[in-house]
Amino acid sequence: MNEQQPHLPLDGGASKPKPETAKPAAAAKASLPKPVLNHRSGKLLIGTRYWPTEVWKSPWSLPRYRAGALWLAGIILGIIGIGAAVGELAAWGDKLLVLMPKLGLPALAVAWIWVLIKLGCVIGVIVANGLWAVWWERKISAHIQSRFGPMYAGGFHGWAQTIFDTIKLLLKEDITPASADRVIHTLAPVITIAPCVMAFAPVLFGKELAAAKIDVGVLYIFAFAGISVIGIVMAGWASGNKYSLLGGLRAAAQMVSYELPRGFSVVPVIMFAGSLDLAVIDAAQAGYWFGFIPRWFVFYPVVGQIAFLFFLIASVAETNRTPFDIPEAESELVAGFHTEFSGMKWSMFFLTEYGYVLLSSFLLATFFLGGGAPLLPALKFIPSWIWMTGKAMSMMFVFLWFRWTFPRLRVDQLMDFNWKFLLPWSFANIALAGVVVWWGLK
Amino acid sequence: MNKEALIVSEASMHTDTMFLNMGPQHPSTHGVLRLGLTVSGEVIAKAVPDVGYLHRGIEKLMETRTYNQGVVLADRLDYCSAMPNGLAICLAAEKLMAVTAPPRAQALRVLMCELNRIASHLIFMGTYGIDIGALTPFLYAFREREMILDLFEMCCGGRLTYNYMRLGGVSNDIDDNWIAKCREFLEFFKPRVDEYDTLLSFNPIFRSRTQDVGLISAQTAKAWGLSGPNLRGSGVNYDVRKSDPYCGYDRFDFNVPLGQTGSCWDRYYCRVQEMRQSVRIIEAALADIPAGEIMAKGLAKIPKPPAGEAYAHVEASRGDLGVFLASDGNAAPYRLHLRAPCFINLAVLQEILVGNKVADVVAILGSFDIVLGEVDR
Amino acid sequence: MASTKDAALARLLEHLSSAEPAAHPIKDYPTVRLSDPAEITKAAAFLKDELGFDYLEMITAVDWLGPMQLDGLAAARTAAHPFKETPLKADPPVTPAPGAGAAYRPVLDLLWSFGNLRENLKMFLRLEVPRDQAEVASLTALFPAADWQEREAFDLLGVRFLGHPNLTKILTTEDLAGHPLRKDYAHQKDRFDE
Repeated sequence: MNEQQPHLPLDGGASKPKPETAKPAAAAKASLPKPVLNHRSGKLLIGTRYWPTEVWKSPWSLPRYRAGALWLAGIILGIIGIGAAVGELAAWGDKLLVLMPKLGLPALAVAWIWVLIKLGCVIGVIVANGLWAVWWERKISAHIQSRFGPMYAGGFHGWAQTIFDTIKLLLKEDITPASADRVIHTLAPVITIAPCVMAFAPVLFGKELAAAKIDVGVLYIFAFAGISVIGIVMAGWASGNKYSLLGGLRAAAQMVSYELPRGFSVVPVIMFAGSLDLAVIDAAQAGYWFGFIPRWFVFYPVVGQIAFLFFLIASVAETNRTPFDIPEAESELVAGFHTEFSGMKWSMFFLTEYGYVLLSSFLLATFFLGGGAPLLPALKFIPSWIWMTGKAMSMMFVFLWFRWTFPRLRVDQLMDFNWKFLLPWSFANIALAGVVVWWGLK
Repeated sequence: MNKEALIVSEASMHTDTMFLNMGPQHPSTHGVLRLGLTVSGEVIAKAVPDVGYLHRGIEKLMETRTYNQGVVLADRLDYCSAMPNGLAICLAAEKLMAVTAPPRAQALRVLMCELNRIASHLIFMGTYGIDIGALTPFLYAFREREMILDLFEMCCGGRLTYNYMRLGGVSNDIDDNWIAKCREFLEFFKPRVDEYDTLLSFNPIFRSRTQDVGLISAQTAKAWGLSGPNLRGSGVNYDVRKSDPYCGYDRFDFNVPLGQTGSCWDRYYCRVQEMRQSVRIIEAALADIPAGEIMAKGLAKIPKPPAGEAYAHVEASRGDLGVFLASDGNAAPYRLHLRAPCFINLAVLQEILVGNKVADVVAILGSFDIVLGEVDR
Repeated sequence: MASTKDAALARLLEHLSSAEPAAHPIKDYPTVRLSDPAEITKAAAFLKDELGFDYLEMITAVDWLGPMQLDGLAAARTAAHPFKETPLKADPPVTPAPGAGAAYRPVLDLLWSFGNLRENLKMFLRLEVPRDQAEVASLTALFPAADWQEREAFDLLGVRFLGHPNLTKILTTEDLAGHPLRKDYAHQKDRFDE
């Protein structure tokens, strides 16, 4: 039967058959695999034409290759977006700072305007990163899962999807549950996001390119990043929901615990650089061994790799992402601490999460991957902000990649892993770093 | 200072338990199951499963419908694997009528049931990954399941509820095109199972979440009447396809995968291994499908089995699905009882959940692979 | 231990005083009919401990009152035309006593099914109890599997299992009156009806 009816129009034969010579495309269509017909009704079965056995002829259509291509594309787009915005605008900012006193503005006003501009830049980076990271995460997850992800909004690969999502979230009704504590419920997202913005002050976006030069930058960042947990506990407690409460308590336990190995894993870096200032840490990694191996801290034998891995793991835990997304484990606690939040309040939590992912990515790049230092001496002509943002984006890809690959740990396993493995070994790593410094391998 | 006053014993500390209502609207109760959990911190002190939110009275409805209409209703029991449900009813009625389906129909029944077992276990694997927090295997599982549903659609037009089994045979035949497509699917599917092993089954985090969790000893499993992979995960070798073969399952060479400890992981991996065995059965069945009719000759349009009682059971995807049929010679069953494996499997939860963490509730419940349509009937 | 189904059947019949092989067995399976409700616990214990039937497969019951009267639907539905809505060409007259053990009588015919997984045997126990006095001992102490299945039989058929720790409704809603699988069940209109 199939042989007699190779092409059955979808409308059941109502449309007129096209003449053979109508288009050259008709010849190409004839070479397509023969449509499958139900042997009894003779109806066309659409589903079977899209089997992966037919689609996956080329290895480049395999999900792992597509995700890899997306990794490269994402890094480039991220550099263009975040890096160019901060890196290229910085020069204009310096000109403005010189220009303002010349226009007759009082010194206090100049200082205030200057702080507001920098604050605007940081908030801009966080918000832009929210839009960017959500889109990138959706595309990465989709390609890892052999899907396409957003494809329609905006035209090119759904680039406008998160913008429309944001508009939707802004327009959504803000619901406060009847059993919630209204004041704390409203305050919680604010208290969560404010430290995230403040923690970005000393973050380097390139060589000597930061909103504020703080001598104890490392301590400052860890101190402010630790405050967000209060907002999360408040959110969990004020929602009047037992799942939220459990999520909030889990978040408190987890984030407080993982701050320790996160802090201690940076101690070797501080010992090598001899400073808590991010700019000094960045500068300490300039130069090359034998003229081609970069002196990045991640390349310091054993110590550097252990510190890097521990900082990466602890950062994933700090940002509540899989495999450590226990506070918002959706299959157990529905959505954990943000179950009862909607609209913009809910998106504040997400903005914070992606803000901290970006923060951790930049810190990883600064502490271990040489910051704005180029990979090879010959590549010095590329501006430092491109190197920095590129390294940060590739670290961010690791965060997103983890999420779509790993299952979730259990609460007690998470705590065991922290207290019985990460923490003692990060102490041992400090001792090892001491040996390295003592022997003068620095 | 009095040293005694500083010692805070556990008894003197006032701690309260909390009642946590899990379900019927919850992402991982797999439908409308409700679990009343009394938790002390995150540890379960008492668990009370509450079922019946999806009760449609299918057994009662069947008493007013003919047998072939009953097959339609039976599709709605375990909607993730609808083929064996109808088969159980047909087998019971065929026993009463002393009719056997022709060989080709029997081969088709085996073929469809095994394909459906793969589809059902794929759903399990995907959703269990989601329960544990791995979101990606779900999409992979559904990609393969989609191909099986396409095969079903080619054969009988249905993608979820097939209405394929008939008293004395099956509704639709297959053609060479179908067989070619099925082989194509098998070739695509076999390496994928190894891929799941690397992605999920042997992932260290996944194993640590499931390996020593929800242990059910062989004795407990038997005492609570578990069946299917849940029973075999505890190491009890009981498979209706082997112990009480129907539709010519004794013609096929396959193994019954058994677990060792009865942990969540054993139950999970039993199902993964069963997919491999199902592939073997399907390949063998495809290799020689007997020619001939697909319906037994001489059956009335509306069959009326003679008065009497019969029991037939099949190894459905989720366990031993039994049908007890009492007929009074009429066109509809006088009484039709379904031994729903999910319903009976679920009862053991109240015993094994106690002492576990809230996160483990999800892991244990997920490993039972329940379908509420069958639990509540 | 019993190696064949006949040996198992013989040993069970020997042990019980009120048991006899059922006149109309479940097709292809050994079936024992008890006449004394008190003996079910004894029979189950003997099956479990002596004969190795440690797998309680199924508990159910049949209400043999007769074809059900569909109350409140179509007035024309009588015992002779129970399936008016199904397109039957010619409704056959329902025989009052169809035979083969299916005679209509006001009893609930209880059914237990036990399995011996090691030796691949199956045994059915039957017991008739009057519909208005449907009481029988619970098997929950011997088989935890009886827990929910007895609750189900209680809920849908109104069999009271004495000694069950928690004999409550399980499938139907709390406010549903009656036992739906009984043949004389008539639906009481409640707030869920239009």
